[in-house]
Amino acid sequence: MRISEHPILDLKRSSPVKFTFDGTEISAFDNETIAVALHAAGIRTLSHSVNKHRPRGLYCAIGNCSSCVMIVDGEANVKTCITLVQDGMVVESQKGKGNLQ
Amino acid sequence: MLEKTGVPTETQIDSAFPNETRLNEGPVAVIECFQPIPCNPCAMACPRQAILPFADINDVPVMDNDKCNGCGLCVMKCPGLAIIVVDINWSETKALIKLPYEFRPLPQKGQILHALDREGHPIANAEVINVIVPANKTPVISIAVDKDLIKKVRNICIPEDNDSIVCRCSDITVADIQSFIAQGYTSVDELKRITRLGMGACQGRTCIPLVMRELSTALKKPISELTSGTHRPIVKSMKLGDVAAYGGKS
Repeated sequence: MRISEHPILDLKRSSPVKFTFDGTEISAFDNETIAVALHAAGIRTLSHSVNKHRPRGLYCAIGNCSSCVMIVDGEANVKTCITLVQDGMVVESQKGKGNLQ
Repeated sequence: MLEKTGVPTETQIDSAFPNETRLNEGPVAVIECFQPIPCNPCAMACPRQAILPFADINDVPVMDNDKCNGCGLCVMKCPGLAIIVVDINWSETKALIKLPYEFRPLPQKGQILHALDREGHPIANAEVINVIVPANKTPVISIAVDKDLIKKVRNICIPEDNDSIVCRCSDITVADIQSFIAQGYTSVDELKRITRLGMGACQGRTCIPLVMRELSTALKKPISELTSGTHRPIVKSMKLGDVAAYGGKS
């Protein structure tokens, strides 16, 4: 669900883009963050805790808590809640701590 | 003090409370709003104009205590949760406090729960007398506490199981933290070394304040006397040559 009308803010929808999440194509707008686009598409589990592998979702949404880290275009540990989505992006869920390239 | 910890000084609290005569006359609102900010819903909410009209929207509210009947409408309207209603003569031994409460689940009428002071420490048990849930406004919980606690109790906490997660990165629960504190790990740094809290991806942004609260309760020390531990951010060593050659830009 996206807010289309807001009593105060003038929401300008920019161009639609498409990206993939674990192989599934997802539509978004290019001024949205990856986490927001995934949330709008109904995806609630973004990562898993490292020790007990419990699901972690959109939590702080400001780049603090690292609950939303995913692999974006091959780069691990990207905070998707503060990274804008781009056309053709490849987003994958991350298992464990991720590797530095 | 207020700026640093969010806890007002005793002088500030005394200035917010009406005098003893007025307290004894019946329920009255107590507004602990000390900083001038552009906010006036309390004055708009009061049907009896007991909160005097603002000359400037930045004013702090001023009460005409004689006009207030303790209805609590301002309690549910204040966005800063800064207002309570105190009825010191609610019963022979207990005073009634109406508190704003924005957490879920809401307490049940008749439930016995922890009454918290301004720093969040449980200081007494309180019985829930009433729960009002207005539409689109802050729920108001009425609790009965000992009369001498009216200037101390400022919140409630529903006793919960200790499985709540404190450290989301390393799955450490309240029970884990409490058990390590009981074993003698009594600083953030010591707890960090034994549990790895604060060393996960979020670097302690979520867990350190929660752990400090647990430490403060267990050690009976105010949070301002505790340290948040040594911050050691993740680093990766690299050669100066790589920095110099980066992108070929000056």
